[in-house]
Amino acid sequence: MIAPDWFRDDRLPHIYCTGCGNGTIINCTLAAVEEMGWKRDETIFVSGIGCSSRAPGYILTDSLHTTHGRALAFATGVKMARPDFNVVVFTGDGDLAAIGGNHFIHACRRNVDMTVVCMNNYIYGMTGGQGSPTTPPGAISSTTPYGASEPAFDLAELAVAAGANYVARWTSYHVKELTKAIAAGMQTPGLAFVEARTQCPTNYGRHNKLRTVPAMVEHLRSHAILVRKYERMVAEGVPIPEGAFTVGELVRRSRPAMGVQR
Amino acid sequence: MKLVIDESRCKGCNLCVLVCPYKIFQEGTELNSRGIVTPVLDRPERCTNCRLQALYGRMLCGVCHMICPDQAISWVEERPFEPHKVEVEF
Repeated sequence: MIAPDWFRDDRLPHIYCTGCGNGTIINCTLAAVEEMGWKRDETIFVSGIGCSSRAPGYILTDSLHTTHGRALAFATGVKMARPDFNVVVFTGDGDLAAIGGNHFIHACRRNVDMTVVCMNNYIYGMTGGQGSPTTPPGAISSTTPYGASEPAFDLAELAVAAGANYVARWTSYHVKELTKAIAAGMQTPGLAFVEARTQCPTNYGRHNKLRTVPAMVEHLRSHAILVRKYERMVAEGVPIPEGAFTVGELVRRSRPAMGVQR
Repeated sequence: MKLVIDESRCKGCNLCVLVCPYKIFQEGTELNSRGIVTPVLDRPERCTNCRLQALYGRMLCGVCHMICPDQAISWVEERPFEPHKVEVEF
């Protein structure tokens, strides 16, 4: 159940396009916050620049809207100054992987105690659909008009390799699972990274034969493979379908974390 | 409890049509005053949450409420003796 009193009702409806998945991710995050029972004046939402980073503007708590890609650096500062605060970072794929890539791997290495929710919509949505590091090969965007030729970044695997304590990936179709994953990440001390693949019907789907919102969500749902099933398919030598990605909890461990209040 | 769509927030993305297991949400056909085709409710009293939320004391299903990107779907308490549309099946 979403906490309705955490929304700024005077700002709604938000500016996201019709069918944008970012609103769903805000719902799931607020449901996880409600489950955790956090107080409103002890929670802070940090974001960078982008569509996804407008999310804290619709939530009635303290928030920081920072420079492009530097949300994790600011969030580290908040956590160091006030270790009693609960820090949640909303970020997009262009914000986190392209411009803030270095901040991301070092926040994972330091294992700062916060929750990072990455809304990965495959492109830079706000500026007109340019290709980002997570644009899948062959996808058409405004800077890759003949199809992206570069391999895409797998952000969850990057977080696992860099040393985050909790890493999960879900899509905006899997609302219940995503809520549970965000809540589990909030409970884990250390950096919890939850990648949520969302639909961007306006700038991604429109150019990639996924014109309607349900078509784009159905594409996400049908290409998601559970981690267990993926491992079983690899062990049995079954070919992995093209464009498929794993969903589920990728890692949960207890490396020494920074900024945990004792 | 009664299922309602907030017409001032809905942008007509039809994600609720995709996820509802009872097919309560149907794609609309008429533009509303904001120029948006909002979904229409087909016999909303079939919704699990409408019928059983008070009995169980918690949210049941609720996927449309969670997936709605515009926070437009919610449940409100019914006033006593609210008129219902009754369909008689022979």
